[in-house]
Amino acid sequence: MNIVGISACTSGIAHTYIAKEKLIKAGQELGHKVRIETQGTIGIEDELTTKEIAEADLVIIAADIKVSGKERFLGKKIVEVPTHIAIKAPKQLYQKIDAELNKQ
Amino acid sequence: MKNEQIGECKVNMRIEELDFNKVVTEDLIELNLQGTTKEEVLNELTNLLFENGCISNKEGFIRDVMFRENEGVTGLEKGVAIPHGKSKHVLKTSIAIGRTNKFVEWESLDGNPINIIILFAVKDTDKTTIHIKLLQKVAVLLADEETISKFQTLQTKKEFLKILTEKD
Repeated sequence: MNIVGISACTSGIAHTYIAKEKLIKAGQELGHKVRIETQGTIGIEDELTTKEIAEADLVIIAADIKVSGKERFLGKKIVEVPTHIAIKAPKQLYQKIDAELNKQ
Repeated sequence: MKNEQIGECKVNMRIEELDFNKVVTEDLIELNLQGTTKEEVLNELTNLLFENGCISNKEGFIRDVMFRENEGVTGLEKGVAIPHGKSKHVLKTSIAIGRTNKFVEWESLDGNPINIIILFAVKDTDKTTIHIKLLQKVAVLLADEETISKFQTLQTKKEFLKILTEKD
């Protein structure tokens, strides 16, 4: 799958970036293409492009706070989880998403 | 044009390397922490930060770290915790690193106690993103299980610094 997402945590210093890394790593291992935008204490980095969002099959928002720019994902399938899920069990998260999507 | 770009790239890398040593140094690492509770360990690491001129006020800084602790779990998995304080008492954005002799009770993602503590001290008004970027790099390293297992077994501060700086 083509996956885009956002990670953001309370202080925007550490968890945001660990979550990003874990989502990308686990996603790649499972054969997904993953792009994650971070919204941290120094602002937005690796901002998702309109094209990337348009091409995405799924949006993952791993956040403990309100993220900005959610309206960009209008009409997309969005999965929202706290950052600790992305950090602790990224593979299981993808597997669960797969299972849910196959149910539909 | 191409050559110029390569040249610029090299210069940038050198600056980053230099700055990394400003954020974490051997003086900010203690592989033999004595504390047996979260508070004791945070006190020890805060002392290190204070002695090295990274913070101006120990009590104030710890208060800010504990504020963040109360907002959410800072223990990760496999014994590593990343408490962090964004605080006006921080003079210089830095990282203090400690390993305890005994595992310490600490809320963590896998429910296990902690023995490696990576304390991020972030200046409240740090507008220079380079420091935060360096902290990010450390955070990214912590997403790698191999790195974490090395943290558990390495014997010297030098080795610790090497792991933090070599991977990019």
